[in-house]
Amino acid sequence: MKFTRSQSFKAIVAALWESNPISKQVLGICSALAVTVQLNTALVMSMALTFVVAFSNLIISLMRKQVPRNIRIIVEVTVIATLVILADEFLKAFMYHISKQLSVFVGLIITNCIVLGRAETYAMTHPPFRSFVDGIANGLGYSSVLIGVAFLRELLGSGKLLGFSVVPASFYEAGYQNMGLMLLAPGAFIIIGLFVWLQHAILNK
Amino acid sequence: MSDQIKSLRFAAVMCFVCSMLLALASSGLKGYQEKNMFIDKQLNILKSIGLVDEGQTYSSDRIEKLFSDNIQLVWVERNGRIVDQRDKGQESLPIYLYKDKNMIKAYIVPINSQGLWGRIFGYLAIKNDGSTIFGFTVYKHAETPGLGGEIEKRWFQKNFIGKKILDKQGRFVSISIAKGKVKQRIPKARQPNFVDGISGATFTGKFLSSGLKDILLDYEPVAIQFRKNRAKISSRTN
Repeated sequence: MKFTRSQSFKAIVAALWESNPISKQVLGICSALAVTVQLNTALVMSMALTFVVAFSNLIISLMRKQVPRNIRIIVEVTVIATLVILADEFLKAFMYHISKQLSVFVGLIITNCIVLGRAETYAMTHPPFRSFVDGIANGLGYSSVLIGVAFLRELLGSGKLLGFSVVPASFYEAGYQNMGLMLLAPGAFIIIGLFVWLQHAILNK
Repeated sequence: MSDQIKSLRFAAVMCFVCSMLLALASSGLKGYQEKNMFIDKQLNILKSIGLVDEGQTYSSDRIEKLFSDNIQLVWVERNGRIVDQRDKGQESLPIYLYKDKNMIKAYIVPINSQGLWGRIFGYLAIKNDGSTIFGFTVYKHAETPGLGGEIEKRWFQKNFIGKKILDKQGRFVSISIAKGKVKQRIPKARQPNFVDGISGATFTGKFLSSGLKDILLDYEPVAIQFRKNRAKISSRTN
């Protein structure tokens, strides 16, 4: 079977566009506001979230027939919390500078609605491989919006991308100024709002 | 087996497995994390005296070299005498000396102050005249991002440079964080002893001000030595 026809590919494409967690389901916004001031923090956050949602989906799906119904939410949160703490500890050990910039937001992945949402609505009722792919798909959907917002915010707000200046000095001399609003939360809100609007407009055509 | 016992058993097994995993990860990674924190401390000490740039990243080796080339950790006793590691007593306080060609340019005091949500850790560098602030950095705190958390930002720390811990009469008044802008709220004579406050973070400012005062009071004996230009490291042979 061709990869593009496979169910996995379709799941990934769906989460990137039609059912994108941020723009369509409007989940996981708060960390999207905080970590998108720069592209490098957005990239690390995207990887951390994708890792957590994929593996929490996998683990919960593997346990789904054994988990007693009355404690299932707590079990899901425990799995998610354990994975997030592991991710945080790894970041502190191997990417210390970035982990300081991300500060509490890696820990806040535990509260990110995308992760618990997929665990409860998908992983508890679908087999492990499907659940893992669903986790990757939603993680990629979240990452695409995060990277898009961070790209615009860093470019417009500080004239840089990944820390490298891309706006030529001649622009600054001609009077161009960085848009300070992009470095603050309202700037992020506006960009995310525009993304949501754009996507709904295209999908509804 | 009843449902409740099944649930309890499942929960107990889960707790055990998760705690084992986390304990393993934590102890396995501890070495790396502690090394990172140590280098970060050195980086912050260097930052407080302006030897490293805010925007640049430095390799661990470069930081260690810059540190060992310019900074010396010594201890100061209650009477203001500076001694080195082997002569340090029970109540000696740590102090970092910024030395350039054997001349002490500044001394750096470790700051550990109460904050609103947790402790605030940083370094305050004071010039060798014992009264002018050379620099200030914060490397660890638990304040609210955007409010008290602004203490870790360059704009806040930059304001400390050039401020004084003595008033115009030469009395120790420490450095305080004003409520609002210094130029608008503080009488001209006292302006060198205050920095601009952070909007929405009055308590952080209050706690940090009193924390700085308490710590600087502890270091007053050695500051007096610097003011009288008499500070030098006593060795056993003196």
